[in-house]
Amino acid sequence: MASPPGAVMPPRRVGNGGPSAPPVILRRRRVTNSLWWGICGLGLAFLVAPVVWILSGVFQRGISGWRWNVLWTGPAGLGGGLANDILGTLLITFGVAVIAGIVGIGTGIYLSEFCRPSIFSTVLRSASEVLSGIPSIVFGYVGYLALVIGLHWGFSLLSALIVLSMLVVPYIAKSTELALNQVPLAYREGGEALGMVKSYMLRKVVLRSAVPGILTGLVVAIAISIGETAPLLYTAGTNGTGYPTGAFLHSAVPYLTYVAWADYDSPFPGQHALSHDAAMLLVVIVIGLILSSRLIVRATQRYSPNRALAAAEKGWRKRMPRADTKPEVDHLFGREPAPSDPDELRQ
Amino acid sequence: MVNPFQLEATPLFESDRVSGATLLEHTDIMHAHQVSLGFGGTTIMQDISVGFPRGTITALIGPSGSGKTTFLRSLNRMNDKVRDFWHHGQISLYDDEIYSPAMDPLVLRRRVGMVFQRPNPFPMSILDNIVSGVKAHRMAKHSDLRDIAETRLAEVGLWSHVADRLHDSPFRLSGGQQQMLCLARALAVEPEVLLLDEPTSSLDPRSTEAVEELVHRLTPGLTVIIVTHDLNQARRCSDNTIFFYEGRMIETAPTVELFTRPERAETARYIGGELEPTGGPERGSP
Repeated sequence: MASPPGAVMPPRRVGNGGPSAPPVILRRRRVTNSLWWGICGLGLAFLVAPVVWILSGVFQRGISGWRWNVLWTGPAGLGGGLANDILGTLLITFGVAVIAGIVGIGTGIYLSEFCRPSIFSTVLRSASEVLSGIPSIVFGYVGYLALVIGLHWGFSLLSALIVLSMLVVPYIAKSTELALNQVPLAYREGGEALGMVKSYMLRKVVLRSAVPGILTGLVVAIAISIGETAPLLYTAGTNGTGYPTGAFLHSAVPYLTYVAWADYDSPFPGQHALSHDAAMLLVVIVIGLILSSRLIVRATQRYSPNRALAAAEKGWRKRMPRADTKPEVDHLFGREPAPSDPDELRQ
Repeated sequence: MVNPFQLEATPLFESDRVSGATLLEHTDIMHAHQVSLGFGGTTIMQDISVGFPRGTITALIGPSGSGKTTFLRSLNRMNDKVRDFWHHGQISLYDDEIYSPAMDPLVLRRRVGMVFQRPNPFPMSILDNIVSGVKAHRMAKHSDLRDIAETRLAEVGLWSHVADRLHDSPFRLSGGQQQMLCLARALAVEPEVLLLDEPTSSLDPRSTEAVEELVHRLTPGLTVIIVTHDLNQARRCSDNTIFFYEGRMIETAPTVELFTRPERAETARYIGGELEPTGGPERGSP
């Protein structure tokens, strides 16, 4: 801001660090600081340790007795392979991804974009929250009573899909809604000012920048549904020993979690090994899912402001040719603009 | 074209104060008649009657909170979505009332474009950004899109900078270039009126100059209405100036007149730098 004419400028001060606080206070600050770091570090350790423990345990047991033909042979007697269970799990997972994906993302879009705050939207949101709080075993027996028994579907793919989808839709809806709410207002205003139809703007502009958030929710939901056992025991059945038929009704579906759960304490070494293999395969599938979602995010976020920012920072470091243009993106997120000088940024 | 509000409209045409471009064109492309605007119980603007002659540049000036941005945004109905927004009076584009049910807001916004305070490119390639509006309105064949982009980029003087990086991210451009890109995007849908909401307040002086120069070049083919906080900018680049103060239109006159011989005391005080309580740039949307 320009100073009023005639104002006397304060004398310029040469920095010498200024007066520093007395040593006692400085020491106390250091202690408080390291205490905070300690607590955060401990939290991190509690998060990472179980992951390492579980992964190493699962892979150790799985790899020690690993036979590749587990992947393509079906069950035979007390041993055999897991081909039917893998196929069943993939079938169920794919079905849940489609059904829950469509319903969940649709609900999220509706909640974020189309519904005005009203009693209805409040009811919808709290219904979604209640749904996410219900234990999965409850979903299982409700599904069993209503679908398997009530509608005479028997143990079947369709009842498994419906129950699992109901279980994970709230996660997808919530993450979609949150992701859409974080899309900068500037994009929407830009689209509106061009006279774009709302649905067009949503498809071409808004959803694109919400993809990472939506996809994260979707992957978490699918991972949950891959790992669920309880609702499947009630709906997909426990006697699925053959290959999945692909029929929606009246045919039990085999799945990996059942093997991991049921054969774990089997007295027969063949079955015992299969349960370890199944556990490892489940983990591998989930990790593969997470990695592929990262790839999709990378591909769709080619034009995001954050990507430009990261590229520019890299450019500064390597003194790349395009280092001269500083991306100005902070205003989209309501942040103060980044310092224009890369040296300033590094401090 | 007969404008029903012409007579009682503005003092623009009633005397020999008229100068320059305003003489060439006596038709108001947009016109506000006794317009009042507000949100909920608050009134932002009261009883505004003003015309915007076709092919001219009109600057809206006034202190922060005088309602000029709100007024600008209601000229293409950008306030519609804002909660509790209300308006009285008529705003017309030629003879069509823009708030009438017969007016499709999407068509209105194509004809009355808008560029914002901060550059807001979409997260898509530079090329896609330019033609996004064209695609949305299906104004061209797919094969013509690249030519349209080139024409518009050349028009705003950006073509030589981005010719080899049309598929690059727009966020790698500098702020000034991003704003030029937004201007090109707005121009690509061939608007008749362009609303600029402090388009240079976040730009460096050189980019500001480029924007002003472009706006000048676009008239009289286009009518420009620009909200600005920078009195020098209003003086430099507008034909007419409207001064808003505390929700009322205080004075409207050809820019030279308004800045050299303001009729009202408030105008004189504002131009003299007395009415600005804070001095900071005005925040964009209400």
